[in-house]
Amino acid sequence: MQTHLWEVEGKGDGISDQEVTSEVHGPAPARARWLSTFIDRPRRLGVVMIAPAVIYIVLVVGVPFFLALYYSLTDITAGSRTLHFVGLKNFAAIIETLKFQTALRNTFVFAVGSQILVIVLATALALALMKDFRGKWLVRLLILLPWVAPMSLGSIGWLWILDSIYSVINWTLQAVGLITPDNWPMYLGKPYLAMASVIGVHVWRLLPLATVILLAGLASIPKDIHDAAQVDGAGFWRHLFQITLPLVRPIMLVATLFGLIFASTDMIVIFVLTRGGPYDTTQVLSTLAFFTGIQGGDLAEGAAIAVFLFPMLLAVAVVFLRIARRTEVI
Amino acid sequence: MAEPRVNRRQFIKATGTGALATSIGANIIVPGRARAAKKTLKILQWVHFVPAYDEWFNKKLVKEWGDANDTEVTVDNIGIAGINARATAEVSAQKGHDLLLFNWPPPSFEEQTVDMKEVYQELERKVGKPIDLCLKSTYNPRTKKYYAFSPSFTPDPVNYRNDLFGQVGLPNGPKTWDDVRTAGAKIKKQFGNPVGIGLANEIDTAMAMRTIMYANGAHEQDANGNLTLNSKQTLDTIKFVKALFQETMTDEVFTWDASSNNRAMLAGKISLALNAISITRTAEKENPEISAKIQLTKALKGNARAIGLEHVMQCFVIWKFAENIDGAKKFLIDYTTNFRTAFVAGEFYDFPCWPKTVPDISKLLANDPKAHPPDKYKVLDDVLNWATNIGYPGYANAAIDEIYSTWVLNVMFAKAASGAVSPEDALKEAEAQCKRIYGKWKEKGMV
Repeated sequence: MQTHLWEVEGKGDGISDQEVTSEVHGPAPARARWLSTFIDRPRRLGVVMIAPAVIYIVLVVGVPFFLALYYSLTDITAGSRTLHFVGLKNFAAIIETLKFQTALRNTFVFAVGSQILVIVLATALALALMKDFRGKWLVRLLILLPWVAPMSLGSIGWLWILDSIYSVINWTLQAVGLITPDNWPMYLGKPYLAMASVIGVHVWRLLPLATVILLAGLASIPKDIHDAAQVDGAGFWRHLFQITLPLVRPIMLVATLFGLIFASTDMIVIFVLTRGGPYDTTQVLSTLAFFTGIQGGDLAEGAAIAVFLFPMLLAVAVVFLRIARRTEVI
Repeated sequence: MAEPRVNRRQFIKATGTGALATSIGANIIVPGRARAAKKTLKILQWVHFVPAYDEWFNKKLVKEWGDANDTEVTVDNIGIAGINARATAEVSAQKGHDLLLFNWPPPSFEEQTVDMKEVYQELERKVGKPIDLCLKSTYNPRTKKYYAFSPSFTPDPVNYRNDLFGQVGLPNGPKTWDDVRTAGAKIKKQFGNPVGIGLANEIDTAMAMRTIMYANGAHEQDANGNLTLNSKQTLDTIKFVKALFQETMTDEVFTWDASSNNRAMLAGKISLALNAISITRTAEKENPEISAKIQLTKALKGNARAIGLEHVMQCFVIWKFAENIDGAKKFLIDYTTNFRTAFVAGEFYDFPCWPKTVPDISKLLANDPKAHPPDKYKVLDDVLNWATNIGYPGYANAAIDEIYSTWVLNVMFAKAASGAVSPEDALKEAEAQCKRIYGKWKEKGMV
């Protein structure tokens, strides 16, 4: 009997792999039967199909991460292959330094500040994009562009936009008479302006992804809930705060978690725009780790700086995911 | 339900066959792949600031040297910012290039590099002694090892606008750091052009601040490698830089990267900068009008001496795990012996660490048809006497390297100049960081 392949899969877990094979193929030569058996056993095939992704993650993410953890507990240098276990000495040493404390504080400001802005703006954008209007596809495409463009290229573009001589913003402001040549704002030269600039560029970068995630969440809210609220006379704000936001909270938490981890560990924006300046006021842990470990040669201390936030981010991830699961209502 | 055109079984068979064919195909189609080749020499170096140099090095020099030495030479050029990361990766993998060029002293890689003593001895026999800067940037007196080899360096002269300085009574440019302060303030006030010395987390700032420190008798370490940052001279230098910033500059210098001073000078915005001759060379090609206005002057005198830093220090290393160590040594000896060709190909960007390799250097510098005027670069003919290394009067070492790479001194000067902290507190903070870094590297046995 020749049962269609997709129909067989549709029979669910109750059918054994062996039954499926014989039902589909009947008698066959040994080698062909082995291949057929393998292909038609969802569990085994599933393992094989998912293996490349798992191997990739283990090799590209897992191994470097555990290597960094290991390095942080040793005295390895960039030019050395001999290393000795030193326990938590590197962590104890860096915590005492003002440079590290400043970088830790900046990391917190950068990550939290950018995430607040990302979530607020992404919610507004997603709500706007839920409405029907002409050219919606074009707006969606434009919003996605920053996410599609390589981050380093995008940051270099912003470096020019914020440049002290060629800033297109300052040239425009001067052209319309809002500033004069001798009082140009130095976006990357004043501590608060520099922090605002790197946060702004990071928000520009992460906003598309957060918007798309929230759009998916909004689209999954059953329409009858909105209709019922409208019948009950709920206004925009009541609708937003009592219906829409509570229902997208789980997915919003996932987007926030992703953004927080990304902002806490990424170094491209700050490396390209300020390299931690002016005078370390935008120095974050990821850039400090690079300057200490790779440029300065102290790989062990660089690794300690890089993995310092891991326990905290892990705890944040666990808390966020638990809250997300509890509030899952859709 | 419609019949699918390709089912799962067919898909896996097809893709599996394709993958297999791809993996073995190259070996079948290109049978010579596995055949042994002649000797190879792999070189990794930066993308030179002067494109003509790379053109000459990659297409002419290595080809001719390879033919003469029956060696296939390959050159990989990467951006200067990627050098350290690449070197770290090669050490970690114990595989990579035979010759790797750092653009600064690489003391923290000492354990992994071949001792270059033989190369130094052979060259000394052929072309005489190298300059002090060369030794201070490649030798560890503690381990008595030449962990790198330096054929050349790039000077870091003062670039100034002669039209502006001429109008405030210094037609030949400033001669002292006090000249920069007083004339720079007048120029800023009268013409709106500030002095352009960076106070940011970037290499030009790191060089400029050390130049001012050394000229005023302030140093990170003494000749024996002992930390000496906390001194009256350093405090006075911080105060001087603060005054220099307030009187002659703008907040712009806190935003800069390594190429910002080039752009500002070429845009006609600043009156003075410390940089290699890349500013003047670019001006000659792109803006002859401004080129005639930008002139060079020698190291400026401070309270202690007139001294300047190298801008780029070319330091080759040969890894212990390199496949062609002898070939790499021979290449360095041949390249350095004939350095005059490199000096000309690089449009005088790289100066010889071995003076006798370019015997007519004064003559070449005194008459360069591209320059405005042709003797613009003549002021550099004694640069071998006044250019020094990071870590002067001691040797470059791992602690000095980390202090440099983590911008400790840049931040010290910038914080004080901006008024974020007092000069005393900025010095105290930097001293604490330097002490910790020195202690750490001493413990590792590297200093």
